[in-house]
Amino acid sequence: MSGDGCVAIASDTRLGQQYQTIAMDVPRMFKMHDRLFLGLTGLYTDTQTLYNLFKFKLSMYKMREGREISPETFANLVSSTLYEKRFGPYFTEPIVVGLDKDNKPYLCGMDLLGALACEPDFVTLGTSTEMLLGACETFYRENMNEDQLFEVVSQTLMMATDRDCLSGWGGVVHIISKEGITTKTIKTRQD
Amino acid sequence: MGESDYSFSLTTFSPSGKLTQIEYALNAVAAGATSLGIKASNGIVLATEKRMSSALMDETTLQKVALVTENVGMVYSGMGPDSRVLIRKARKNAQTYYQTYRESIPVSQVVRQIASVMQEYTQSGGVRPFGVSLLVAGYDYEGPHLYQVDPSGSYFAWKASAIGKNMVNAKTFLEKRYSDDIELEDAIHTSILTLKEGFEGQVTANNIELGVVGDDKVFRVLSAAEIKDYLGEVE
Amino acid sequence: MNIDLSEALDTKYGRSGLSCEVGPDAVELGEEHVLTIPNVPRPDKFLSDSFKGQEAEVLKFAHGTTTLAFVFKHGIIAAVDSRASMGVYIGSGTVKKIIEINPFLLGTMAGGAADCSFWERDLGRQCRLFELRNKERISVAAASKLLVNSVSRFRGMGLSMGTMIMGWDKTGPALFYVDNDGTRLKGNLFSVGSGSTFAMGVLDIGYKYDLSVEEACELGRRSIYHATHRDGASGGIINIYHVGEDGWTKISSEDSAQKHYQYKAESTEQASAPMVTS
Repeated sequence: MSGDGCVAIASDTRLGQQYQTIAMDVPRMFKMHDRLFLGLTGLYTDTQTLYNLFKFKLSMYKMREGREISPETFANLVSSTLYEKRFGPYFTEPIVVGLDKDNKPYLCGMDLLGALACEPDFVTLGTSTEMLLGACETFYRENMNEDQLFEVVSQTLMMATDRDCLSGWGGVVHIISKEGITTKTIKTRQD
Repeated sequence: MGESDYSFSLTTFSPSGKLTQIEYALNAVAAGATSLGIKASNGIVLATEKRMSSALMDETTLQKVALVTENVGMVYSGMGPDSRVLIRKARKNAQTYYQTYRESIPVSQVVRQIASVMQEYTQSGGVRPFGVSLLVAGYDYEGPHLYQVDPSGSYFAWKASAIGKNMVNAKTFLEKRYSDDIELEDAIHTSILTLKEGFEGQVTANNIELGVVGDDKVFRVLSAAEIKDYLGEVE
Repeated sequence: MNIDLSEALDTKYGRSGLSCEVGPDAVELGEEHVLTIPNVPRPDKFLSDSFKGQEAEVLKFAHGTTTLAFVFKHGIIAAVDSRASMGVYIGSGTVKKIIEINPFLLGTMAGGAADCSFWERDLGRQCRLFELRNKERISVAAASKLLVNSVSRFRGMGLSMGTMIMGWDKTGPALFYVDNDGTRLKGNLFSVGSGSTFAMGVLDIGYKYDLSVEEACELGRRSIYHATHRDGASGGIINIYHVGEDGWTKISSEDSAQKHYQYKAESTEQASAPMVTS
């Protein structure tokens, strides 16, 4: 979710097989660089594989071009990487969140084949995507500061995961601003 | 490699440590028509001689300044057919980059990739080095860039450079004329004047070629009519 | 295949030669409460074909559940969660899954919420009639048998229930497991629902016949809590009932989220306490 010169990404921390909860300390957001996060929902093995793949690709990019990748460029890289596996896709839906060089928030979600859906305000993915979307629609305001953004994102996440059997068991929120990254964990229901 | 009859590289060291094939390639470049490039504060100009071996040839069909991608162009001195191989690879690389990142390729990346191709041809079996030097010019997110790439695969960024038959004189001329705050229009004039130095015969709109990229980030090969206007301005 | 349901659904249950009445006292239900079944040669097959694929969502509302009950020295403990899920969506977090059939009988609810509550209410009616006719309370064995008889008539037609019927009768505490297949089992310890395996793990370790009422309640609570924690389809409130000689009493109703942090605090307290060596 975007704010004024800041942007937030949040996820729950449950890892489960169907209804069975395997672990409760597994956030699915990865810092790609100081102003860029990648969120990967879905099959966890693909989450791990893709994270490692993009970490590798970004290291190569940085060495080759001598600069950090911009959020938009990275989203396109993720998209084209996913489409390469069009007929045997990774079972994961990514979110790319970051600040561009003008400190403008960038957020983009995509499906497992890499179809981009960029939004100016908020993007939701995962098992509780519909509920998150509803909560976002109600709580989102334009030009929120970091604290307001944190509050809205946390409440949204909690509301949505409390209505989803497969989500919850803790939450993590990262706020990216030009000053840096703030990470907070939120205490939630454990059922 | 390994399966062809010529699986060894033809480019081999001489006892003194030189790669004679590369030296010969540079000789081929030095025999080619002069090309030059000037980086201005707000753009770049590439210029080249376009000499025909016979007056009977139709010079309007020959184009030496080539577009790599929207904002990057290049010109060569040396063997025309060799340059076309590199242009084809450069264009393909640029499009691949765009397909991957949905962002136009930075000039440095075009150059790096062309240079690595040229280097490969100095070390692979069954091939010879390219008989060309290139001047690559482009305007990207960082501003204007001018690079020269040689048959060995080495490349450098320049403020102004010249390659080909008259390169030594042209460089001396450019050194005298160049200033850091030169504007693109002045640079175009300078490029024409530089070409005129040591040009055999009269410079016309049909026997030179100009490529220009400004801060609109669009590389454009100038038409004969436009060159004619510039020629009028420098007279 | 295009089936015209209008006629089939209009046919009142109990009129066709193929269908049968709701229990022995169909009249008591009143005209509005007569169950209708499709008027086709094989209603069970027809229903299973018609609802193929949708079954999970339409007919198995509130499928995710954890319920348990066990007999011990001082009666029976029943413990349940309160989550009603429709697929992965949590329809409600505060469902009452222990059904109070009468002051001496309890039923638990797993599977289809509507099926469980309807048939256990119907069971209550039948039990009351039994009492009026026989001037004594029905035994748990008989009551559970009535329920099996009721649901057996609809076997294969998509009823979904896994329930435990418990109470105190002349023989003392009694506990039966009844489901929509017509299964009826007497036993001392059952756990039903998607979270039952998790609950059973805790329950089996802590279970002893000689537990005090407090210990037994806490065992039930812990078992349900662990199931809500590990099972996505279980959660919400933990309800505990005790069945004793004088009928059932509701012991507690607590939020599993609060229990989690309470248990966590207790376990860290224990861990940080100095080890006592003998």
